[in-house]
Amino acid sequence: MRNFFLLSASTLAGLVAVHSATAQVDFAEFDLKNGLHVILHEDHSTPIVAVTVMYHVGSKNENPERTGMAHFFEHLLFEGSEHIARGEFDGYVEGAGGVLNANTTQDRTFYYELLPSNQLELGLWLESERMLHARVDGTGIETQREVVKEEKRQRYDNQPYGQMMPTTFDRAYAEHPYRWTPIGSLDHLNAASYEEFMDFYKTFYVPNNAVLSIAGDLDIKATKKLIKAYFEDIPAGTREIPRPTIEEPIRTEELRDTIFGKDALPMIVQAYPVPAQGTDDYYAVEMLNQVLSGGESSRLNRRVVDEEQLALFCGAFNFGLEDPGLTFAYAMASMGVDPGAVEVAMNEEVERMRVELISDLELQKLKNQMEAQLIRSQRSMASIAESLANYHLYFGDANLINTEIERYLAVTPEDIRKAAQTYYAPEQRVTLYFLQAPTAETSKQ
Amino acid sequence: MNRLNTLRTALLGGFLAIAAGLVAQIDRSKAPEPGPAPIIELGTYDLTKLDNGLTLIVVENRRLPLVSWNLTLDIDPVFEGRKAGYLGLAGSLMSTGTATRSKAEIDESIDFIGARIGTSADGAYASSLSKHTDALLDVFADVILNPAYPQEELEKARKQALSGLQAGMTDPNSISSNLRAKVLFGDKHPYGEVETPASIEAIAREDLVNYHATYFRPNVAYLVVVGDITPEAAREQVEARFGSWEPAAIEDRYQPIPARPEGNQVCFADLPGSVQSVLQLTHVVDLKPGHPDAIAVSVMNSILGGGAFSGRLMQNLREDKAFTYGARSAMSTDPVAGRFTAYANVRNEVTDSAVVEFLYEIERMSTELVDGEDLQTTLNYMTGSFARSLEQPETIARFALNTALYDLTEDYYATYLERLNAVTAEDVQRMALTYLRPNNLYITVVGNRAEVASTLSRFDADGEITYYDAFGAEAKALDAAPEGMTAQTIIDLYYAARGGAEQLDGLKGIRMTGIMEPAPGMSFEVVRETLFGKGTRQAVSMAGNEMMAEVVTPNAGITRSQGQQAPMNGAELADASQDLYAAYLLHLPELGMTATLEGIDGTKASPEVVMTVEGAGGKKELRFDLMTGLLVSERSTREGPMGSVPVTINYSDYQAVKGMQFPMVAEQIAGGQSMTIQYSRIELDPKLDANAFKID
Repeated sequence: MRNFFLLSASTLAGLVAVHSATAQVDFAEFDLKNGLHVILHEDHSTPIVAVTVMYHVGSKNENPERTGMAHFFEHLLFEGSEHIARGEFDGYVEGAGGVLNANTTQDRTFYYELLPSNQLELGLWLESERMLHARVDGTGIETQREVVKEEKRQRYDNQPYGQMMPTTFDRAYAEHPYRWTPIGSLDHLNAASYEEFMDFYKTFYVPNNAVLSIAGDLDIKATKKLIKAYFEDIPAGTREIPRPTIEEPIRTEELRDTIFGKDALPMIVQAYPVPAQGTDDYYAVEMLNQVLSGGESSRLNRRVVDEEQLALFCGAFNFGLEDPGLTFAYAMASMGVDPGAVEVAMNEEVERMRVELISDLELQKLKNQMEAQLIRSQRSMASIAESLANYHLYFGDANLINTEIERYLAVTPEDIRKAAQTYYAPEQRVTLYFLQAPTAETSKQ
Repeated sequence: MNRLNTLRTALLGGFLAIAAGLVAQIDRSKAPEPGPAPIIELGTYDLTKLDNGLTLIVVENRRLPLVSWNLTLDIDPVFEGRKAGYLGLAGSLMSTGTATRSKAEIDESIDFIGARIGTSADGAYASSLSKHTDALLDVFADVILNPAYPQEELEKARKQALSGLQAGMTDPNSISSNLRAKVLFGDKHPYGEVETPASIEAIAREDLVNYHATYFRPNVAYLVVVGDITPEAAREQVEARFGSWEPAAIEDRYQPIPARPEGNQVCFADLPGSVQSVLQLTHVVDLKPGHPDAIAVSVMNSILGGGAFSGRLMQNLREDKAFTYGARSAMSTDPVAGRFTAYANVRNEVTDSAVVEFLYEIERMSTELVDGEDLQTTLNYMTGSFARSLEQPETIARFALNTALYDLTEDYYATYLERLNAVTAEDVQRMALTYLRPNNLYITVVGNRAEVASTLSRFDADGEITYYDAFGAEAKALDAAPEGMTAQTIIDLYYAARGGAEQLDGLKGIRMTGIMEPAPGMSFEVVRETLFGKGTRQAVSMAGNEMMAEVVTPNAGITRSQGQQAPMNGAELADASQDLYAAYLLHLPELGMTATLEGIDGTKASPEVVMTVEGAGGKKELRFDLMTGLLVSERSTREGPMGSVPVTINYSDYQAVKGMQFPMVAEQIAGGQSMTIQYSRIELDPKLDANAFKID
């Protein structure tokens, strides 16, 4: 059917109300009887709508003998449903003029469709079909097994430094499920039975384990009615949802290792254990990383890359997770540079953060950077919908989309130094060198 | 003030289910009907020209307090030649220092206000919160107008670039990009240029300074401003900061579009150890932006390999055959030369099958009319894409810029959806016939040569694959041997270096004793005993117990493993018979073998002469050090239960025994495993019992 654009009063780009620098994101939220939490954000700037569902299941919820299930399910949920034949799911969205995709992390799986706003109901139908009775059958499982194998080859095995993430998590965690990453093990996927797949679906893909978050050109009242029509009858899940309570023991001695691969230049990766997202110390760690790695003038870039020219790039980022996560400090050594020299420079900058306080000017820089980041994150309906879902799923407070900035801005130089002392201690870290394997010819000399 | 017209499209159909009044009864068994379709206003932009020729385009959008500034130079592509890479540096180094600011000062100023800035050979970009506009523009204008190109920064960037090139040598995507540029455009075209270590070394500061002085001129520049600012305020800022920017005439340079190959060409760059092939099928396309065919061509491409998941390539190669994580196609327009590329990363074993499917789908576009429903789905998808792109105010700005750059009609974008939705199945087929060339394209592969290459020669029009290195240069396997050098010369030199052909041939026998330690704690004794011309025996033992042995006489040979004995077949015996001679290369005719001189391998730290010897026992590649003449390695293929396995034996640590040279270390590498024999004793003409070589 043809979906052309007709007259509508609600679409005048360029005349939307002015927002202040601390723009408020308004939203409505409610629960259905089956436990599904719904968040709606109304914005008429463009006639589009982002329909998203976040399920509170990720790789950390997996059975250690069946890793990769959560990510595999992300693939399976495109196979259709009782009323949607194989291969049709994508066609419905694209035929309506939209796009769709999904992604899986250690903690949650996120599905989204971006549609013209007159196709909102289509989005609800598709996501409710998935939640109610997704197609989990042998053909789909076989096909997606092969696709996931190719994904693993492309993103990890054939990609430069593709093994960096899985290897670092594996070394950094001895007990916690974060020791494996969402891509999981192909052997486990091959061994999984049909019953195990159905079991996974019935346990995790239930309304009481999900957030439906929609942002865009919608009418809240009308949308609420439609949501009830499509989602209310979906039965709540009855099984207990396994959420690991393992506390990773604190490391008392640095773990160091070397991994050989094909890539030409040495990569140094250090993982420091950091607190879970949303905790008080988490924000101090975020600001700490901003000092180390935010922008060209940041500590690591300026010293290691620019002034001493030891590395092609050097930075630090926080892998903020629901349970205590990791900060990755990393560098790719320049040609002819000993990775040990790069590490020394990185360690010295981290040590400075543990000893010195940042200046007032640096603190102001951090705040300005955070403010700009916040504004930029509101540029699309898709990112607003995801933010709202995140804040509810992890913290039970969608309004953090408006208030979380305060927690960043409240961090003091003392907090930053204290965070560095607590979490960036040499004996707690994992330091890995990824080096090129010597070839037969080179080893003979 | 210019205005992109309000978009109106003729409506056909369009179900009028008004969502607000809907009862809570839904029919889950089928997809719901859409609501009334919204209209989109493209919005307005403001275009003016300053006295110095600088064109200013402003799109005011107050939704967020952000402003972005985007400068584009409208110039013909520049050919760099032996200094490939200087354009990139001329661009990126603009922000590493000006007449009044050091790099550290620039970095600090930008980071302090949480802003972003970027400079390139054909423009510059900056964005910040609107309240920081003055501070941002101070730096933005300075780097555009007054870059200093400090020598120190050039040297830093050069070092970075060289490191980057080294990293790129093991990155299949990087290699693929170089390969594609070179095969499509060759060495003499700006689009075919690839940075190499040599070209990066050759860049001088003057090159950067001259480039900037020549091309960064207001009369070829467009400055697009988007966000929380009025056209008046933007103009005021730009006049103040860029008003005194001097114009200068710039030469036009015409670049021809290269020819396509006469038949499909397979171009392979080896990246050993790859588990996937980075596969592309590509050819040039003569299609300029704004051409009347451009919209129908993009529909055709979307059906073939565009969209998120519905393209034919994706449905075939991923959803149906699971060859790949993603298969797509791209068709680009360009003032000089557009490109068509269909691409996917596929696992090694299915590379050839993937090529078959790619060619099938590309050909099908011109032999079959697309199904009406599929066409409609595609048009809907592209309509939706267009609408969704309007969420970002930068899109309007880009429309305005394109209209100016490519001389599009004023209502090009206002009428875009109308023209898009008028495309028919016949149009799509005609575009495929006109613009797709399934028989004149390059099939580029970056992957595992040993495993994959031989399966692809059937796709090459003359059956010969061309090989390339990481920089897209043709990889010469070997250099030609010097005049007058023959296989015999090499053999003679080898035995001279070993202490003399006569001395070696005059030996009656030999015993070589050594140790092999494949893993810590595992130690095997290896002993070879030979009565030349009569028999040879090699035994591997642990703590005095024989684990494995082989015995060869002129007529028969056996292998023994853990007590079980098996005869050698003809090929194995022929191969093992070489050990009945002290200098078998002097006896090739008796062994039924021939030797061929292949060439010189100059890619080694120490150049090697490469020779192949061939006979009933198979084919072996022998490598001799060019300087010393000694044998350094031999490579052959062994048949195993899993198929053929390449085997390499490296010889080293030649020591003198009674005036003759013998390698004391032999390292065998097969199937990724390495085993080294370290010889401790070589006895010449030892006392040996002929019965030791009896075969029952």
